[in-house]
Amino acid sequence: MVAIRAEMLSELTWMQKLTSGTVRAFEASASLVAYPSGAAIFRQDDPPTGLYILRSGRVKLCRQSRARKQILALLMPGDWFGAESLPTDSPSPYKAIARTPVQSIYIAPQPLRELLSSCPDLQETFLEITAQRLKQYVSLVHDLAFRDVSSRLAAVLVTRANREGVVTDGGICIERLLSQQEFAEMIGTAREVINRTFRRFEQSGMLQITSTSIIILDLDSLIEIAQQETS
Amino acid sequence: MINRQISIDDLREIASLEDMPPQQLDRLASVVMAQTYSPGQLIFLEGEASGGLWFVQKGRVKIVKQSLNGRVMGLCMMNPGKCFGSCPLFSIDHNPATAQAVDEVTLLIVPPERLQSLVRDDPQFVSALLRIYSQRLLHLARLSESLGVWTTGDRINDCLLTYADYDEAHPVVRLTHEKLADLAGTVREVVTRHLSSLEQERIIRVELGQVTILDISALSLPCTSEKLNRA
Repeated sequence: MVAIRAEMLSELTWMQKLTSGTVRAFEASASLVAYPSGAAIFRQDDPPTGLYILRSGRVKLCRQSRARKQILALLMPGDWFGAESLPTDSPSPYKAIARTPVQSIYIAPQPLRELLSSCPDLQETFLEITAQRLKQYVSLVHDLAFRDVSSRLAAVLVTRANREGVVTDGGICIERLLSQQEFAEMIGTAREVINRTFRRFEQSGMLQITSTSIIILDLDSLIEIAQQETS
Repeated sequence: MINRQISIDDLREIASLEDMPPQQLDRLASVVMAQTYSPGQLIFLEGEASGGLWFVQKGRVKIVKQSLNGRVMGLCMMNPGKCFGSCPLFSIDHNPATAQAVDEVTLLIVPPERLQSLVRDDPQFVSALLRIYSQRLLHLARLSESLGVWTTGDRINDCLLTYADYDEAHPVVRLTHEKLADLAGTVREVVTRHLSSLEQERIIRVELGQVTILDISALSLPCTSEKLNRA
C-alpha cells in the first residue's frame, strides 16, 4: 500500500471545500493504487467498492448485457468513480476498466464509511459530486432517447474537445484513444455505423483522423449537430 | 392544495428516512408541507428554476424528459415512499426533468430554503439524501444501458417487471400503453403490438389500463446477474 501526499488532494477542486482536519483524515485512510492498461479495477455487480480518484490515465465505466456493452463514461484525471452504491449497500452498477495504465487514489469501503459518518463536510461534498454524476447520467439518457447517432457522436467529440482538446494551428486535437468499437459502445450503436458517421464528418471537413488523434477542424458545425434532436 | 400538520409517522413511511432518529424526524416534520395534485397536473417543469425535496405520500408521479420536438422519455415512476427533486441543492439550479401527477397525488414537500439548512446542520439528513441519490444513480445507469443496447421488447418487459404491484397473486402493472411507451422510450403502437404477442403466448393478460403478469419467468431480461429492485 502506497501512502498519498497531501498535495495530491489539494489539486482536486472539490477537496478545497473540506476542512484541514477532514483532508488529514482522508489522507491517512487513502492509498495510491496502480493498474495496467486493460485491467478490470472492479466488475459490475461486485460488492460496493471504495472511492477512486483518478490521478493519471483513463478509465472507462461500462455495463454489459448479453454480448453488448454500454460505456457510461470515459474518465480523466481528477474524476472520481466507485462508491456510488455504498450508501445503499448494493452491487456496483458498472465495471471499471483501465483504458491506459492508471494511477488512482483509493479509499476502501469501510474507512470511507467511517469518514463519511465522522466528517459532515466530506459527506456533503460526496453528496454534491454524486448529484453531478446524476446530472451526467440524466443527460446520457436524454441523448440516447432523443438524439440520433450523428448527434450523439458529435456530442461526445464536443465534450472531449472542451475537456481535453489541445488547440493547435491545424485545429483542436484530441487523443484518438477509443477504438471504433468503443465509440459504438459509448453511443449505443454498431461499429459500422460509427465508421460511416466518422467518414461523413471527415468528408464534410469537420474533422480529420490520424492514427493517434482526432483533429476537430470545425467545432461550431459539430456543436450544431450535437444539439439536433430527432423528431 | 392543502396545508396540514405532518407527523413523524407520515415520514416513517418513506423508506429512505426509516433509519432517521425520532428527534431528526421531528425536525423534518416541522418544516414539511403537504400538497395535493390532480391526475395529469404538472408538479414542476424541466428547465424551470427549482428547489426543494418532494416525497410521494399517496399516488404516483412520473418523472419525464421531453425533447425539443415534444417526444417524451420517462425516467421513472415514483410510487408512495419515493422521493424526487433536490438536484438544485448543488449548483444544478434548473430541474433536469419534468414531474407530473399520474393519479390523485399527495406530496410532502421540504421547501428549498429549509432544505439548505437541513443539509448544513443535519448529517443524518445528508446520509438519507445520499441513499436516495445512490438509488437514482443505479437506476439511471441501468436505464442508460437499456436505451443503448437493449431491444424495445426488452425495455417493455423491464418496465412491466419494474412497475408491477407484487402484492397481488399475479403481479399487476397499472399503467396505460401510452405510459408504458414513455417509460420504455418507444411509442404506444409498439407497446400494444408487443403486449399482444406476450398475451398470445399467455405470459400476460391485458385489460383496460392494466396488465397482469401470468408467467414472470418468461419476461427474461438481458442483464446478466442483477437482482431487480422491485420496491
